[in-house]
Amino acid sequence: MNVKKALFNIFGPVILAALILITILVMPNSSHKISQKTIYQASLSQSKNIFKGNVVKRAAFEENYVPFLGSSEFSRMDSFHPSSMAIHYDRSYRPFLLGAPGSQSLAQYFGMQGVNAALKGKKAVMVVSPQWFVKKGIETGAFNLYYSNLEAVSWLLHATTSQVDRYAAKRLLTMTAGQNSNLIRKCLAKIADGQELTSFDKTYLKLKYNQLEREDRWFSTLAMNDRIGKIERVADKLPVQEDFSKLDEVAYKMGQKSANNNQFDIYNKFWNKRLKKSWKHLKHKQSHFDYVSSPEFADFELVLNQFKANKMNVIFVIPPVNTKWMAYTGLSQEMLDDFNAKITYQLKSQGFNHIVDLSQDGGVDYFMQDTIHLGWRGWLKMDQAVSPFLSEKQAQPTYHLNKYFFSKEWQKMQGEELSNFLKDK
Amino acid sequence: MINMQPYQNPTYFLYLLVGLLPIMIGLLYGRRFKVYETIISFVFLVLTFGGDKWMQGVSIIGYLICELILIFAYLHYRKSKNSTGVFIGAVVLAILPLVLVKLTPFFAWQHLSLFGFLGISYITFKVVQIVMEIRDGTIKELDFKGVLHFLLFFPTISSGPIDRYRRFIRDYDQAPKQEKYLKLLGKGVFYIFLGFLYKFVLAYLFGVVMLPYVSKMALASGGISKWLVAYMYVYAMDLFFDFAGYSLFAVGTSYVMGIETPMNFNKPFIAHNIKDFWNRWHMTLSFWFRDFIYMRLVFFMMKKKLVKSRITMANIGYLTLFLIMGLWHGLTWYYIVYGFYHAFAIIICDAWLRFKKKHKKQIPSNKFTEIFAIVLTFHVVCFSFLIFSGFLDTLFFR
Repeated sequence: MNVKKALFNIFGPVILAALILITILVMPNSSHKISQKTIYQASLSQSKNIFKGNVVKRAAFEENYVPFLGSSEFSRMDSFHPSSMAIHYDRSYRPFLLGAPGSQSLAQYFGMQGVNAALKGKKAVMVVSPQWFVKKGIETGAFNLYYSNLEAVSWLLHATTSQVDRYAAKRLLTMTAGQNSNLIRKCLAKIADGQELTSFDKTYLKLKYNQLEREDRWFSTLAMNDRIGKIERVADKLPVQEDFSKLDEVAYKMGQKSANNNQFDIYNKFWNKRLKKSWKHLKHKQSHFDYVSSPEFADFELVLNQFKANKMNVIFVIPPVNTKWMAYTGLSQEMLDDFNAKITYQLKSQGFNHIVDLSQDGGVDYFMQDTIHLGWRGWLKMDQAVSPFLSEKQAQPTYHLNKYFFSKEWQKMQGEELSNFLKDK
Repeated sequence: MINMQPYQNPTYFLYLLVGLLPIMIGLLYGRRFKVYETIISFVFLVLTFGGDKWMQGVSIIGYLICELILIFAYLHYRKSKNSTGVFIGAVVLAILPLVLVKLTPFFAWQHLSLFGFLGISYITFKVVQIVMEIRDGTIKELDFKGVLHFLLFFPTISSGPIDRYRRFIRDYDQAPKQEKYLKLLGKGVFYIFLGFLYKFVLAYLFGVVMLPYVSKMALASGGISKWLVAYMYVYAMDLFFDFAGYSLFAVGTSYVMGIETPMNFNKPFIAHNIKDFWNRWHMTLSFWFRDFIYMRLVFFMMKKKLVKSRITMANIGYLTLFLIMGLWHGLTWYYIVYGFYHAFAIIICDAWLRFKKKHKKQIPSNKFTEIFAIVLTFHVVCFSFLIFSGFLDTLFFR
């Protein structure tokens, strides 16, 4: 019949396309290999799609890549950057950079959810920026950049009604990205409320997971930053022999050569681009900055919980602020010291004993590349602690986590209350 | 309750498919189920204006009551009398709500004023058109349900294309022949899928992936930079694919419902000159402006012998048309500059065409000049979009 044929001509292709799409999306993922080159490029890219995805990270952690969790400092790629050092001295590990401006604790927590299995028993490095710990914690705009439905679905598939998971669900619901999808929002609300997900929820989540992970496999490596050339160029400038005093001398000279057009020893390019126009307006403008009272401490506790659940051994780096810059902007060293004491207590009291405390080094020449980011000699000092930690076998730590660190009381504790509290311990 | 904006995501299309299936089957057998169409239109309108957007729903109901009273009162009046004063009064009343909505953000710092709603402009265009045609005598009778359907036709409610009442009602009153409907259905499905490519792939690529990046780079470079030029192209592409994609959805959905809503875009970037461009870009809007503002103004000037020269008359017409179009977009300097810019572009274009006509022999016309004309027109247009985008405002004055 004519009509049937006409209808078939119109809808045949549509139905066929729909069938193919559904089949491909819902089918479980094949174990198609991700190439070494892709992993290498991804490890340096700091791409948001890699951060938010599962597939490339999982493939990397099954190799000798170690997650370096942090934020904006990783884009300071001079010769002493951890990736450059690991490549040039052919270390047994390679950093997988996870983080870019704004990727704070909550983003890091959800970023791990799809790859927890691959992280089991691994080592990791986490650079904890004091600047994360602002009054309101992570801004939803920043969080959204690092959030994907895949992270949430991965998380929901293993979520329980524990206090930790309820806290995480509540936090995610305060972010606008957590409202993206009706399904996810409803499931999060259930968890936050202390209810179990139904088996129907789980089946649906599982199908969604297949679809999202497939999209991740197809699309996350598209338009990825390619920094391989850049890192290999800077790595080539390192001396052949790995000798600390020699390296420190080279770092000093490099800093001296490329940070000389301003009074703060800030990298010239950064100065020209970001501060030259505005620095005069910043005098004494940071005296009220406060990193001691913040919901970030509880978000950070989430990350620590995940480290424990994954039986990971983690070394934490606490970077300083450029002292000359601090003096100019009025940022308080006392406040930074309080922050340092607070975070160190949160870590050590729970058994996280590997801490690289650089907080007092902000005045060392060419330690910082700019105002708050490590550079040349700073990277080198960090490497001095991180490299042996990663290269040598470490005793398995025992963690004893304390729910108190989720409390509002701890989040807000500052000033005298904090110092008294810490004195008692 | 759920709220869904037209064509925003795949789920909407799924609802659309389910909702339109009975209409499709009916039309295939030469029947139009008017009652069902009314119900499903209502459902989709509730989807758009209900839920957390219920304020808009209330506004649109209030607005419609006022406009319907106006239309039918004017029709009633027009049957016995025809005073110009009353006609002007009717038009002013018809656009008053729109003017107020456009003015409120200017006085109160609210994004959308209390009685604004999505698509108010497009319904107003339709109302004004009916009033003007009543005045002309081309509309003598109005069917209440027909008018309501025309004004609230849900596939085009949010951003057009702007259909004409008499054309719409011809389609609406009858079901197309089977053979014709099959053709419409085929085209409709094709348009919707082409719309997917435009809106969800290309507009996403330009608008979501590239635009924020070039915007950031242009702001970081400051002033006139290569990134600003990149911004111009990316924005122009985003604007086109976003709007053309949306329009394809609206036209495609109309076709599936057996209504031949006019097309809105016809390859605008291969226009040979600005005049040609406006016959290809947002066509239903430019034809509306042509028929109901430009032609009427020129005709008025001619009748009253206000201006002697036909050229001056046309130029005044262009200036008025584009200034109003600019103001309609919003009360900011860049929309107004955008209006003037296009008015002058079209005035220059007209002058050139006259010059070309007179010197036909001396001016070469070949493949090369044709390509040159297309490239030139494209860049004139892209630059106008850069003004339109408001980016220059952010770049220089914020």
